[in-house]
Amino acid sequence: MAALILPAGLLVVALMVAPMLLLARISLNQFSPTEMMVEAMSAENYLRAVQDPYYRSVLLTTMAVALGCTLLCLVLGFPTAYWLARMQSRWKSLATILILFPLLVGNVVRSAGWIALLGNDGAINAALQGLHLTDAPLPLLYNAFAVVVGIVAVVLPYMILTLSAVIEGIPRQAEEAAANLGARPLTAFRRVVLPLAIPGVAAGSVLVFILCMNAYATPVLLGGPQFKMMAPAVYDQFVRGNNWPFGASLAFILLFVTMVLTLVGSALIGRRYRR
Amino acid sequence: MTITRRLALSGGAATLSALTAGLPGLARAADGRVVVGTWGGDYGNLLRQNIDEPLVQPKGIEVLQDVASADPRKTKMLAERQARRGTYDISCLSDTDMYLVQQQSTLQDLDKGRLSRSEAVIPALKKSYAIPHIYSALVLLYNPDKVTTKPTAFADMWDPKYKGRVGFSDILYNTNTLAAAMAGGGGVSDYKPAEKMLLEMRKLDAKVYPSNEALAAALKSEEVWLTPMWLARGFMWKQADIPVKHVVPKEGAYSIVFEAAIPKNARNVDNAYTYLDAMLQPQAQTAFARKMGYLPTVKDAKLDADLMQEISLTEEEESRLVQPDYDYLQKHLNEYLDFWNKQFKA
Repeated sequence: MAALILPAGLLVVALMVAPMLLLARISLNQFSPTEMMVEAMSAENYLRAVQDPYYRSVLLTTMAVALGCTLLCLVLGFPTAYWLARMQSRWKSLATILILFPLLVGNVVRSAGWIALLGNDGAINAALQGLHLTDAPLPLLYNAFAVVVGIVAVVLPYMILTLSAVIEGIPRQAEEAAANLGARPLTAFRRVVLPLAIPGVAAGSVLVFILCMNAYATPVLLGGPQFKMMAPAVYDQFVRGNNWPFGASLAFILLFVTMVLTLVGSALIGRRYRR
Repeated sequence: MTITRRLALSGGAATLSALTAGLPGLARAADGRVVVGTWGGDYGNLLRQNIDEPLVQPKGIEVLQDVASADPRKTKMLAERQARRGTYDISCLSDTDMYLVQQQSTLQDLDKGRLSRSEAVIPALKKSYAIPHIYSALVLLYNPDKVTTKPTAFADMWDPKYKGRVGFSDILYNTNTLAAAMAGGGGVSDYKPAEKMLLEMRKLDAKVYPSNEALAAALKSEEVWLTPMWLARGFMWKQADIPVKHVVPKEGAYSIVFEAAIPKNARNVDNAYTYLDAMLQPQAQTAFARKMGYLPTVKDAKLDADLMQEISLTEEEESRLVQPDYDYLQKHLNEYLDFWNKQFKA
């Protein structure tokens, strides 16, 4: 049986583990503007990233956006997922496709759509000014708001589909039994559905959180030049600054923080509802 | 569809030939091909219309454009510098970027004997490792309806009456920083005064746009009125009815040359020389001037007087032309990118 994971395993080793080891090695080198990279074994890049208030704030922004988007997806996604899971009609597959629809459009194309909608002379501002509700365009683009809206629109389908798969496994009889015993719908949700759906909440949140932490195209295109998240900061170091060692260390810090937060998050959710 | 033995065999053969295509000396030696790393958009289109199709393809050379902005292409060249076979046969970059990649020993020295057009090149623009393709100068663009007193210098952007009306393109952080340095008394070899000036500009509520195109949109909607920009870009924007005029700032006119070079690990060197020669043909050069407003780099490309007036500098303005200090940039550019990101934009 173990042989079954061999093809995928080899692929991962060749295409992910090996480049990551190389990147880890690069992260210990030193940057030199004239020679690009000088071989070294130093933790200097990591220290610099951790001590620099700018990168600390970029990391905090990234964490705040990822956490905010995850919570927003949970709140927005749960009712839809419940509705989808309990749907009996023949339209269910069509509904699933509709939910998946945002994923059929490329990230960049979707962002271009948001720019056309949120920009200073975009559709929303044109409508607001046309109706004389505002005199000057509202700053909707190139800020945290635009990034959160853009990211949520991409990752929401992941949350809905993960949740709905788990909710489908919760027998309807459980809810009916709760109602029978006098639980109001909200109580039945809080005491029966939600605890049973926790594996889905945990899986969906982890998936969405990881996607948000590593978001690249959306923050670049909708956040504009003044809004920085980690993935674009890593890219900047590699491509604009040619500082590969520092870029690599930022990449590992992002990886590490994402992993720790994911583990802590799922442990907390698990403990809260394990009775 | 049923898979017959014949179909399977022909599919196998196609796969095999595709696999061997990249192997040295096997199925294909250096054939009639040249891979050009270039910007997309107008630049890429003009290369195709004026160089690839009329001048290079008739010689039986297939031209493949690898389109990306400069930074990823530079990174690709640096990443490939140890490789025996690189992606590009021709790399198109600005003079500053070209110098930076040349310093990492990615480029071959050009054999002038293999370039029939080398004599026609304006002497001041000649380099051992690249040909100059087109050039322009950094000027101050302003909206003549809003900025009623014609500005004369980069320093005029710091006039408090233009608070919130100065815009910068994020990708031009280098020239924006230089404009600030010049306004503060510095220059191509001293960006230090830019720090104080940029922090003051931050207080004046300057706007930063993610791309030149986003900046163009902001100039068009009159959200911003002033920006340091290439004269050629200003020419294109005027053509597109964006309300701008230009002034060659009294602090100096920083020149930019877009160059082309052959990487050391190019696979089709002969074709690359043919391509460089084509880039220097007068008809190709004038086409770039007409459409993009960049000046020809060869002495025998003739432009109409009207166009000349729009895109070139007067003799007096030319006397203020300054070349980049490549060495200084190589040592300090990263520092100023950091400053731009962390202190100015943040």
